[in-house]
Amino acid sequence: MALRMWASSTANILKLSSSVSKSHLSPAFSICRCLSSVLEGLKYANSHEWVKHEGSVATIGITDHAQGHLGEVVFVELPEENGSVSKEKSFGAVESVKATSEILSPISGEVIEVNKKLTESPGLINSSPYEDGWMIKVRPSSPAELESLMGPKEYTKFCVEEDAAH
Amino acid sequence: MRSPRTLEVWKLGTVNYLKSLKLQDRLVSERKANLIPDTVLSLQHPPTYTLGKRRTDHNLLIPEAELTRIGAELHYTQRGGDITFHGPHQAILYPIISLRSIGIGARNYVETLERSMIEFASIYGVKARAGHKGETGVWVGDRKIGAIGVRISSGITCHGLALNIDPDLKYFEHIVPCGIADKEVTSLRKETDTVLPSEEVIHEQLVSCLAKAFSYDDVVWKEDPLVILDTQEHNK
Repeated sequence: MALRMWASSTANILKLSSSVSKSHLSPAFSICRCLSSVLEGLKYANSHEWVKHEGSVATIGITDHAQGHLGEVVFVELPEENGSVSKEKSFGAVESVKATSEILSPISGEVIEVNKKLTESPGLINSSPYEDGWMIKVRPSSPAELESLMGPKEYTKFCVEEDAAH
Repeated sequence: MRSPRTLEVWKLGTVNYLKSLKLQDRLVSERKANLIPDTVLSLQHPPTYTLGKRRTDHNLLIPEAELTRIGAELHYTQRGGDITFHGPHQAILYPIISLRSIGIGARNYVETLERSMIEFASIYGVKARAGHKGETGVWVGDRKIGAIGVRISSGITCHGLALNIDPDLKYFEHIVPCGIADKEVTSLRKETDTVLPSEEVIHEQLVSCLAKAFSYDDVVWKEDPLVILDTQEHNK
C-alpha cells in the first residue's frame, strides 16, 4: 500500500509492548487515540503491508494505519492460490471510497492460501487488519527478504518521519 | 522548509477514452520514476460509458449492441467506483499525482477531490455537498452533480473526477449511475440561472479549485495540447 500516515509529529505516539511472545501477538497501545496500532512480532514494508513469518509460511496483510487511510473497504481482489508474488510488486487491490488501491507484496514466494472470507466480508480488513483481515499466505522463496523489512519500532518511527516531512 | 509544489495542467479538449487511458498509463510510470511533476489532465470524452474494477455491468440497462446506435462506447477499467457516463459538456480532471509527496491516503485524496468540486460549484452559487457514507461523489440535495473513480498504484493516482456542466442527461437513463438507483443526476446548468462562461473558462476554474484544495504553490498550463498528444504518440 503506498499510503501515507497522518500522525502528529509532536505526539510521542506509540508505546510498544516490551514482551515479545512467539505464540501470540502483543498489541501496542497508543497514547494519541487518533493513531493506529503497530504489533510486535510482525515485519513491515514501507508501503504499509505486514508479514507474519511462522516456519515456512508467511502471512501478509495491510496495517491498521493503512486501513484507516483507505476508509471502508468494499471490495478486495486477491491472486489465485498457487500463483506467485514478487517483492515490491502488486499482488492485488482493495477498493474503498471509489478508489482502487494496489497492494504490494513485501516478499517473493508462492501463494499457498488466500483469505476467501474477504470476498463476502471485505470490511474485515478495517475491523481486524492483523488477524481476520489477513490477505494471503505465502511460502517465501527468499527468506533473506524478511531481514530487509522493518520491525515494529522502526515502522512506527518510519510513520512519524514520513509525516514529519510535511 | 518545504520546496514549492507545482501542478502541471494539460488542456486536452475532447479525447477518446482509450487514448486517455494509454496516456494516463504512461504518465503514471513517468511520475513514479520522478520524470514529471504532479500533472492533471483536463478534458472531455465523446459519449462513453465506463465500468470500474468490480465490473458491475448489471447497472447497464440497455444491451451493449444498443450503444453503437446511440453513438456511445463502453469500457471496462481498473478504477474504483461503479458504472458512469462521460460525454460532451462534462468536465473531467485526471490528476496523476504522487500521494506520498503530499502525505495523504486514498480517503483523504478522494475527500479533497470532492472539496474541489464543491468549491467550484460555489463559484456559481450552487451549494453542493460531499456524499454520505458509501455515496462518494458530489451532490446538490439528492441530485448527483459530480462523480469520482480513482486508481492508486504505488502511490500514484490516475482516473479522477467528472463534473456535469451541461451534458445530455438522457444518456444517464441507460444506466443505474454509480449503482445508486433512486437518485437523480444533475448538472451545473440545471442548478443555476447564472450565465455560464465558455467551457474553457469553466475548466480553468475547476483546475484552479483543485490546485487550491491540494495546496499547490504554482500551476503551469501546457499549451498546444494537440501537439503534446501527437508528440507523445510520435515518441512511442
